[in-house]
Amino acid sequence: MIIEAIDITKVYDTRGVKTQALDGVSLGLEEGEFTALAGPSGSGKTTLLNLLGALDTPTSGKIQLEGVELSGLSAAALSALRLRKLGFVFQAYNLIPVLSARENVEFVMELQGVSLADRRKRASEVLERVELDGLGDKRPLEMSGGQQQRVAVARAIASRPSIVLADEPTANLDSGTAERLLELMAQLNREDGVTFLFSTHDPLVMGAARRLVRLRDGRIIQDETTTTSQASA
Amino acid sequence: MLLRMAWRNLWRNPRRTIVVLSAISIGIAGCIVAMAINLGMVAGMVDTAIRGGLAHLQIHSAGWDENPELEVRLMDGGAEIAKALDATPEIQYWAPRLRAEGLAASPRASVGVSITGVDPIREAGVSIAADSISEGQWLGERGRVVLGHKLARRLNAEVGSKIVLSVQDLAGELTGQAFRVSGLIRSGSRELDDGVVFMRLPEAQALVRMGESITEIAIVTSDRTLVNQIQARLRAALGSGPEIRTWEQLEPLLVYMIASMDSMAWVLYAAVFIAMAFGIANVLLMAVFERTREIGMMRAVGMSRARVVSLVVIESTFVTMLGLLLGVGLALAAIWLIGDGIDISSFAGSIDEYGIETVLRPSMRSRDLATPIVIGAITAVISSLWPALRAGRAKPADALRHV
Repeated sequence: MIIEAIDITKVYDTRGVKTQALDGVSLGLEEGEFTALAGPSGSGKTTLLNLLGALDTPTSGKIQLEGVELSGLSAAALSALRLRKLGFVFQAYNLIPVLSARENVEFVMELQGVSLADRRKRASEVLERVELDGLGDKRPLEMSGGQQQRVAVARAIASRPSIVLADEPTANLDSGTAERLLELMAQLNREDGVTFLFSTHDPLVMGAARRLVRLRDGRIIQDETTTTSQASA
Repeated sequence: MLLRMAWRNLWRNPRRTIVVLSAISIGIAGCIVAMAINLGMVAGMVDTAIRGGLAHLQIHSAGWDENPELEVRLMDGGAEIAKALDATPEIQYWAPRLRAEGLAASPRASVGVSITGVDPIREAGVSIAADSISEGQWLGERGRVVLGHKLARRLNAEVGSKIVLSVQDLAGELTGQAFRVSGLIRSGSRELDDGVVFMRLPEAQALVRMGESITEIAIVTSDRTLVNQIQARLRAALGSGPEIRTWEQLEPLLVYMIASMDSMAWVLYAAVFIAMAFGIANVLLMAVFERTREIGMMRAVGMSRARVVSLVVIESTFVTMLGLLLGVGLALAAIWLIGDGIDISSFAGSIDEYGIETVLRPSMRSRDLATPIVIGAITAVISSLWPALRAGRAKPADALRHV
């Protein structure tokens, strides 16, 4: 199992007001999965994704990434773990505006200490893989939303993480662009074996996922696996 | 990549960066130019004092410092000392003097003066007296004296006038002699212009009945910075007999003024750099706040706190160093523009008392440029620490939620 959450709860305390975002959630993901966390706003999708992505810590319960228990790790160790094991795609693309598409893709690899030559080679490969070859020198603001999100996907997969966590990746895209992005991610999953976990309320993503986990009020209410998905069909 | 990102981040909001750069560069340029003018003023005062007769070193008989009377004198015209001086190559000029306090009287007035017997040729090397003759001529013929133009005005004397000098001789007897004014000095030095009456050394020796004795030897070296070294060598050569003192020991007030300038520089730097530090911290805090999500993303994908902190510190260092370079450039340009000096002769009446020259020429030492650069770099780091640590402390999940 790549990542596993065991009976986790998360309570936010905002100036004494406690809000339970997750309540006894257990979830495990195997290598190669293409899974969507679905649910309405406030159901706990992003909270669960943040906890699985070592961006936040649960109030109780355990999270293991490739067998490593996260709760005992320092902030620096968690940061190093995210750098080596996890890829992230965010709803608002979150590219670094002062870097070109290629530099954004190289960013994580540079943090990992990959040599310049290897970074360049890998960045070219993944930019080609997300069909952005030729746009490497463009800055994010010179690109469309769909292109920016492709760069974000390229950045996430460039360092060959164990799993890519994508928080509402299609939320800011029109349906056609969203469909093409989803197709690309399904292809990366199928052909390159990249494991994806999405949080979404987009029916398109839900339809494309091979496993759909539904959350409501901080609890898993449905966890079903389909043999074929729209995107992989 | 940190350097590249930091540099490009500076230009995300060019207007803001330009405002900060302007504040830093104008502040630094102001500091440097103000210091250069002040230093030039003090250097001018020191030069005026040295060229006005103080010289770089003076030698007196032991005890002169406590009791500057005629009996405390150098016998035989300082012949032994002269040998040591001639054997010291760094000594450019030296001149024997006989100084005695006396009274100059004309038909209209009597004024207390310093009667100074000099070797006219040697004295021309150690002071500007000979070169500052504005009317008449320097000492030559017997029975002639040279005095400052202000002293002449007080005595209502002019070139060719006769004045009577009265002085106590070595035996304590009052003696006097009439002399004719051969020249007037206009030097800018208060002492030369208003306090001294020069005459030929043998005549002064005869007037005070001191034989061949003198009271002091003034020395000018090839390099003012060597005076302490030369003083030590002369002490070694001459033993504990004569008092050998540098201009700094003779005029501690000048040294105090130079030290005051340095203190003032630190106050000026402190004011400018504290203001600069708050300005930079404010701008960086704003920049960090605006980039909260971006910083959250960088932390999320695994950028360490140390690197986030470094990024902000590097940005601050870039903007400060750029500001410093511009400031130094501006300052050098301004100093070059006023290199011929600022004419303050309209204030001549009020500044004359202090020996300040009427044209202020900016003067700069290498440390006057190095100091603001070093302090600026330190300020950049210190002022960026708060925003940098704040950026480093950002929790990725919270920062990513930031709107």
